[in-house]
Amino acid sequence: MIRVVTLDPFDDKQLAKFNRTLYTAFGVGSEHSGSAEVPSGMSEPLDAEKLLDEVKGIRAYKDDKVLLLTSRKLKDRELPSGKAPTVGFARYGKDRAVLTIAPYKDLETGYKAIARHALHQLGTLWELHHCLDPRCSMYPPWTPSFNQGDHIFCTFCREKSEQKIRLAKS
Amino acid sequence: MPEGSAALQLNVGDRVVYPNQGVCRVAAIDVKEVAGQKLTFVTMRREEDGAVVMVPEGKILSIGVRKVASAADVEEIYAFLRSDSDKADLDWKQRARTNLDRMTQGGILGLAEVVKGLQVLSELRPLPTKERELYDNARHLLVMEVAAALGTAEANAEDSIDIVLFPPGRERPKRTAAEFARPGGEDEDLDLDSDLMGLEGGELDLPSDEEPPAEPEEESAEEGAEEEEGGEEASEDAPKKRGRPPKAKPAEEGEPAAPKKRGRPPKPKPEVTAESAAEPAAPKKRGRPPKARPPEGAEPAEPAAPKKRGRPPKAKPPEGE
Repeated sequence: MIRVVTLDPFDDKQLAKFNRTLYTAFGVGSEHSGSAEVPSGMSEPLDAEKLLDEVKGIRAYKDDKVLLLTSRKLKDRELPSGKAPTVGFARYGKDRAVLTIAPYKDLETGYKAIARHALHQLGTLWELHHCLDPRCSMYPPWTPSFNQGDHIFCTFCREKSEQKIRLAKS
Repeated sequence: MPEGSAALQLNVGDRVVYPNQGVCRVAAIDVKEVAGQKLTFVTMRREEDGAVVMVPEGKILSIGVRKVASAADVEEIYAFLRSDSDKADLDWKQRARTNLDRMTQGGILGLAEVVKGLQVLSELRPLPTKERELYDNARHLLVMEVAAALGTAEANAEDSIDIVLFPPGRERPKRTAAEFARPGGEDEDLDLDSDLMGLEGGELDLPSDEEPPAEPEEESAEEGAEEEEGGEEASEDAPKKRGRPPKAKPAEEGEPAAPKKRGRPPKPKPEVTAESAAEPAAPKKRGRPPKARPPEGAEPAEPAAPKKRGRPPKAKPPEGE
């Protein structure tokens, strides 16, 4: 089950559409599971890793995947090889990811790009690596063409995610 | 103490890399009796999923178990990935062999070479399924080792690799087959999968300075040769190459090579003996076999009157009556 938890107010209809997109992509149920508070002391831009560790009040089962949705910006990560532009962050194979809709005002404005980023983060939760196919949502998200693509997976990534989901169900 | 453990001193709690399996932690080193022999076993637990493997201490090095790379090694990996030097081999057999060696014996640099090589190759054409899987495996192992070496999250390790491979704000370049040409290489055009390049087999043909098109008989000979070779290649599970078949080998000196005929192979000739060598065998005639001749000693029978057609003549009346 995919649980979308909002950290800021969003329109319900847009959230319902967003959940339908996630359901279509992964074939597992997706729902809006309420909202949570950003931990006190954290200011914009938010530190994605810290946010995932510190956010409280999320109720989920063990094999659920939780996607935190915020309209606030996330801080770019400093990595040993350079600075990584950060629209979202997910812990590989774990159960929590965070995604920002910034720089868009709401879900509808940049729906295609946001949905693609959401698939990317949830794919990371299901142990998918970055893909070589520019049409796939697992393509590195900082490339210029990423936001123009559709929210789909390539054959390899789709089969791998289905396999992981099947394993998680059994 | 076995030779292998002298070079790689392992202690409980050490992090090691098991080739093709990933980062493991040494859980125990103990002596066990197997088939009457006392052997020292190293028990390793894979960090990713907790799978346990026990390896005799003497085989640790031959298997390729090694310590996790250091931060300095990872910096070298970034430098290698950033460079534009590594071009994958276009010969798929050679490439598969090299990649297999790199995965098992190459260390972290070998993993990076596989990832980089296949990534560059994918800029020329999409990877076949098996190589896509290999790429994913190599990437997974590389990410896990970099994460273990730097003590960071796997997602950060992967992003740090991909920032180098896919620099932000830049699209991947399109490659051409000419970039992959090796100086002095012979088989440059052998492994361009025409399906994946969107080309027909004829378009990948050899240059125009080749010999003129072979005659039909030669073609049949080449096909026959291909059929024979097919049995050998099938065992290696090798895909059939498209395009022009390899040239027929030149015939031996003097005699031109007889064209190979299709169909049933000729019967083996009987062994040549002294008698049979003296009398050359008469050529076999077609049609009904001749009637058996009577033996030479017997009197020759009168030749039979030729059979006349039509009604037999009437018997003549007796004369002198």
